[in-house]
Amino acid sequence: MGEVIVITSGKGGVGKTTTTANIGAGLTRFDKKVAVIDTDLGLRNLDVVMGLENLIVYNLVDVIEGNCRLKQALIKDKRYENLYLLPSAQTKDKTAISPGQMKKLTAEMKEEFDYILLDCPAGIEQGFQNAVAGADRAIVVTTPEVSAIRDADRIIGLLEQSGMKQLDLVINRIRMDMVKRGDMMSVDDVTEILSIPLIGAIPDDEHVVIGTNQGEPVIGLDSKAGQAYLNICKRIMGVEVPFMDLESSSGLLSKLTHLFKKD
Amino acid sequence: MRKRSSVFIAKNRLKTLVLSDRVHCIPSAYDKIQRELYEALSKYMELTEDDFHMEISRTQVVITFAGD
Repeated sequence: MGEVIVITSGKGGVGKTTTTANIGAGLTRFDKKVAVIDTDLGLRNLDVVMGLENLIVYNLVDVIEGNCRLKQALIKDKRYENLYLLPSAQTKDKTAISPGQMKKLTAEMKEEFDYILLDCPAGIEQGFQNAVAGADRAIVVTTPEVSAIRDADRIIGLLEQSGMKQLDLVINRIRMDMVKRGDMMSVDDVTEILSIPLIGAIPDDEHVVIGTNQGEPVIGLDSKAGQAYLNICKRIMGVEVPFMDLESSSGLLSKLTHLFKKD
Repeated sequence: MRKRSSVFIAKNRLKTLVLSDRVHCIPSAYDKIQRELYEALSKYMELTEDDFHMEISRTQVVITFAGD
């Protein structure tokens, strides 16, 4: 019996889709069968981030409306065995499906997949309600910025009200150089305000942009962000992993420069 | 933390924002709620203002008091 995890944030542009793609791909590395569902009706993106945009025939709304079978709509990933994408509809709006229909679909998919990840749209409207309805647990993504954290707090409040059993926090795009000089909130600053368990801290890493350009998850590239995502996957599976040192990203050259630099 | 750092400013702004979002009211209401709750409770209990502490989380208002 699989587990359904919704990836949500409130604010847009903080990395929900990237997080969904990377956790999805990452979990397959541990022999899990994973489906990722793009629930953002009208603004689909997950297919592009995963590099599968040219393979779409049917979508989420087609499955729900019964225009096709689930198997026909699921796209098998090109790089990761056991990773499947259910793309969103680009031409429908958010009223095309209901929370009840999402619940039914995810319940059916739990039979076949170990993990089902729902990429939630930004906002707190019906798209959010749809995505949350079928989920067993939630991962809230934020960045260390005032607006993103404020929205995350609202989302967490709504999830707590809806009776979501497990809530975990991902803090994305951390820049240790800025944290050090007091110009970016640290992991501790953010968790102190949001007070839910931290499941991952992702450094701001240019590999994420490179990966997105190429339509491939960053976990496939040798990178700090990729490593951080793999650690999140292990924690999702219940393995205890120490949080990595976000500062040690520098190579030998910058370490030497640092050595000679006077504060 | 340095008082002039932008993180110091950000955290203060956030604490106020989050608080008013949580209670659905203006930030200054927090002080009023605290004041009035203290006054109400102190009618029936031995309290000092130093002992009395109120915290608003997303789903509950927690009042703590210590002392004799």
